[in-house]
Amino acid sequence: MKIKIIIPVIIATFVFVAGLSPLMAATTPPAQVRIDQLSKDFEPVEFDHASHVDMVGDCGECHHHTTGTASNDPDCMRCHNSGATGERVACRDCHAPDPFSADHLKTTSEDRKRYHRDLLGLKGAYHRSCTGCHEASGGPTGCLDCHLRTEAGDALFRAGKYTPAPTDKAAGH
Amino acid sequence: MKTHLATHGKVVDSHKRSADGAPWSLQEKLLLGMTPQQYIVQAVRNPFNWILALIFAIGLPLIAGRFFFGLNWVTHSSNDYPWGLFLGFGLFAMVPLSASGFMLGTTVEIFGRHDFKPIERLALLNGLLGYLFAVIYLLVDLGQPWRLPYPMVVSFGPAAVLFLVAWHVATYLSVQVAEVSSSFFEWIGWPAAKKFIREITIGLTVSGIILSTLHQGALGALFTYAPGKVHPLWYSASFQWLFFFVSAIPAGLCMVIAVSTIARKTMAWRCDDEFKNNLDKLTISLAKGASMGLVTYFTIKTIGIAHDNEWGYLATGWGAWYMVEMAFGVLLPIAVFAWAIRNKNASLARVGAFITVAGIVLNRLNTALITFNWRLYQEIPHWREVIISLTIFAIYIVTYRFILYRLPILYEWKEEKVLVPETVNEPVRIHEPYQGSPEPVASYRTSE
Amino acid sequence: MSGISRRKFLTCTLVGAGATALSLKTTDAFASAKLEGYPDSMGVLVDLGRCVGCRSCEAACNREQHLPAPAQSFDDPSVFDQTFHNGQKRRTDEQAYTVVNRYEPTATDQPVYRKSQCNHCNEPACLTSCFVNAYTKTSEGAVIYNPNICVGCRNCMIACPFNMPAYSYSSATNPVIKKCIFCYDTRLKNGLPPACVEICPQQVMTFGHRKELIEIAHERIKARPDRYIDHLYGENEVGGTSWMYLAPAPFEEVGFDTTMNNEPIISNVKDFLGTVPMVLAIWPALFTGFHLLATRKHDIEQHGDDHSAHKEEEKKS
Repeated sequence: MKIKIIIPVIIATFVFVAGLSPLMAATTPPAQVRIDQLSKDFEPVEFDHASHVDMVGDCGECHHHTTGTASNDPDCMRCHNSGATGERVACRDCHAPDPFSADHLKTTSEDRKRYHRDLLGLKGAYHRSCTGCHEASGGPTGCLDCHLRTEAGDALFRAGKYTPAPTDKAAGH
Repeated sequence: MKTHLATHGKVVDSHKRSADGAPWSLQEKLLLGMTPQQYIVQAVRNPFNWILALIFAIGLPLIAGRFFFGLNWVTHSSNDYPWGLFLGFGLFAMVPLSASGFMLGTTVEIFGRHDFKPIERLALLNGLLGYLFAVIYLLVDLGQPWRLPYPMVVSFGPAAVLFLVAWHVATYLSVQVAEVSSSFFEWIGWPAAKKFIREITIGLTVSGIILSTLHQGALGALFTYAPGKVHPLWYSASFQWLFFFVSAIPAGLCMVIAVSTIARKTMAWRCDDEFKNNLDKLTISLAKGASMGLVTYFTIKTIGIAHDNEWGYLATGWGAWYMVEMAFGVLLPIAVFAWAIRNKNASLARVGAFITVAGIVLNRLNTALITFNWRLYQEIPHWREVIISLTIFAIYIVTYRFILYRLPILYEWKEEKVLVPETVNEPVRIHEPYQGSPEPVASYRTSE
Repeated sequence: MSGISRRKFLTCTLVGAGATALSLKTTDAFASAKLEGYPDSMGVLVDLGRCVGCRSCEAACNREQHLPAPAQSFDDPSVFDQTFHNGQKRRTDEQAYTVVNRYEPTATDQPVYRKSQCNHCNEPACLTSCFVNAYTKTSEGAVIYNPNICVGCRNCMIACPFNMPAYSYSSATNPVIKKCIFCYDTRLKNGLPPACVEICPQQVMTFGHRKELIEIAHERIKARPDRYIDHLYGENEVGGTSWMYLAPAPFEEVGFDTTMNNEPIISNVKDFLGTVPMVLAIWPALFTGFHLLATRKHDIEQHGDDHSAHKEEEKKS
């Protein structure tokens, strides 16, 4: 019952509104990217791609070797050294939205020769990429700096109007 | 009681009143030959009963509270310290102190040392009550005591040490009930039942030895599940069960000395001459056994430290505490016993016995509670936990006293079979040549 | 006379037979020692270096397992400063099957956050110590338990080397063991990762087949030796656990017990379990023999029946 709900929710919410076409990605980067993977507990994030392009400059910083620039990681350069533009540029093209689903695990388990077995899922890739850079550059790193919590999210975190009444038991015995 | 005896001077020690030869009624047997009024008067006059009443007045409501408000209300048992005083003292200390039953049973029935007979029944009763109250402590501590029969009937965890403990304690309790029941059958007057028990005595005794060996050891083995939690000086994967089993031997013997001392002092009216005249000699003999047990225990504890190479720990604070335990609980009684045995000084042996009992309790508390989680923190038991433990111990004393006053434990039941020639052939006596003093039958035979 | 001795002997033999029957049940303990977990067991690889201490996992666990409201919000970082007895950090209890704690190891500039929950051992000590067999290790790797038969002896809490099982001490009528069950009922058995894994924004936890996670973990260490202590905690500890950990700082500085043996807990108990059938088998004959030896003299004196006593001894041997 619950699963029947969760799976479509995950699939439905893991949608990148812009930048889906590899052709488009290669030519015209989207100005705005709507990230609504966590739409149950958090409002979608409108990611200002354009200003990040201006700020960072180097597409490889986020897109690794797929945008025609060399990767920053010498490890990657051992294979991805052609400098060719990748066919797949969008995050979700490589970072699976459902990295731990039975299907995805089956695919990766069966493909024993696959090199990138330990690839982050989409959500992990976003957060690790964004917060990694934000920490270094002084950008926002708090959860609520980027995400607005929905009512369901407040209920989940027992925050907002769901904050528990303070008790003197909090410090333990 | 003493005052009462001085004024009334009759003690139930046979089926018939010595004065008029009429049989005692069950009520008279229960009330020790007194009328209810007399009984209440003597009970109220006893100051010890007032102390007990005070303990019960505070403790019984707390025990009730434990079942209404949960363990949280009475104990400091926590997720880090699952076991507190109820098991640390009630189970782990009461059980070794109750090893007396199988020790004396073995001595008398298996090794044929019938000179220990006057104290055998006390030892058996001490064993039975100790186990019974260990189970009662357990029932107070179990989260859902009403599920205690589950390991017997609902779901089996046969690879668990506790499964062995549960089964062995349950079986051994039944064995001990059977062993002690012969005194009850004498008292109530069911000779056929007593005869049946006599016939299976050897079987009962041997199963008693097996079950005792295993679950005395199993209580130790329970701690082998917690190698990182019990302090290494008190832990040994290989020998833990032997430590518990071997230390139970002096513990049980010394508990008999301790109880017999108290009984001799506080209920001399109930002890017959056989008991009183032999007690000093038996105390010395028991002390000999206990000191051998203690020396063996000290040796294997030392081997245990050498085996796991734990000498380094002796230089720590915990090591000092360990040495205090060994010096006070083992070496001191060994020295006291040695002196007492050499000089045939029963009083001194009694002192040694009390020290040993305290030493064993300290060892079990150290293992289960004090040094447990030595790397985390030390848990202090809740005051309600202490009072409940004390209350259950008081119930134990009351039960103990109740039985000693009545059943032929400290005295010999005077069979009036002399008056009934049909039962003279007494099949029991044929394979029981040493049982009982010769008076009643002999007097009958001479009259014949 | 000989009949009486024989009866005694038979009684003892019966006791012995019964005892041997009892001993059969202990053999299970030996079988379990050879187990190396289920081949398709799932697991979780926890990479402590990735955790930012957002406590989303605690919140998700609370929602998934329908646990009571916490004392403070899950986004309240002040819980990291809480200490209990002797500086103990927060631990799992009946209201929280997982908790995150903050550590400040000397080796890293950043604090390290460590999530703790049941590690789902290959050979769970809780399972082997339970006398009503309430615990089950499922083929998916989860260690689950049946609260309907839990007696409340709390031996599993004594046995667990990670101190994970908690007890609902507050309940008077139905206290039971409480611990992480790998979201077995609602997720794992349906092919879904546990709630904490799914919600984690940093993908601190990687869910997968335990065997592959071990490979992945060692690849991570190899690829970034500067980021990781060269040890996969849980690969071998106490016989291996389904949940395993990589850390950027020495494990003992981030809340792990590094004194643990690679042998499963049950091997410490084996010495005793092995003696059980031996005692059951040897004691009856040994002590019956002692009895016959010790009392033979009396029998002869008393009954003048040398022959019968002798016969009994022969039977014994």
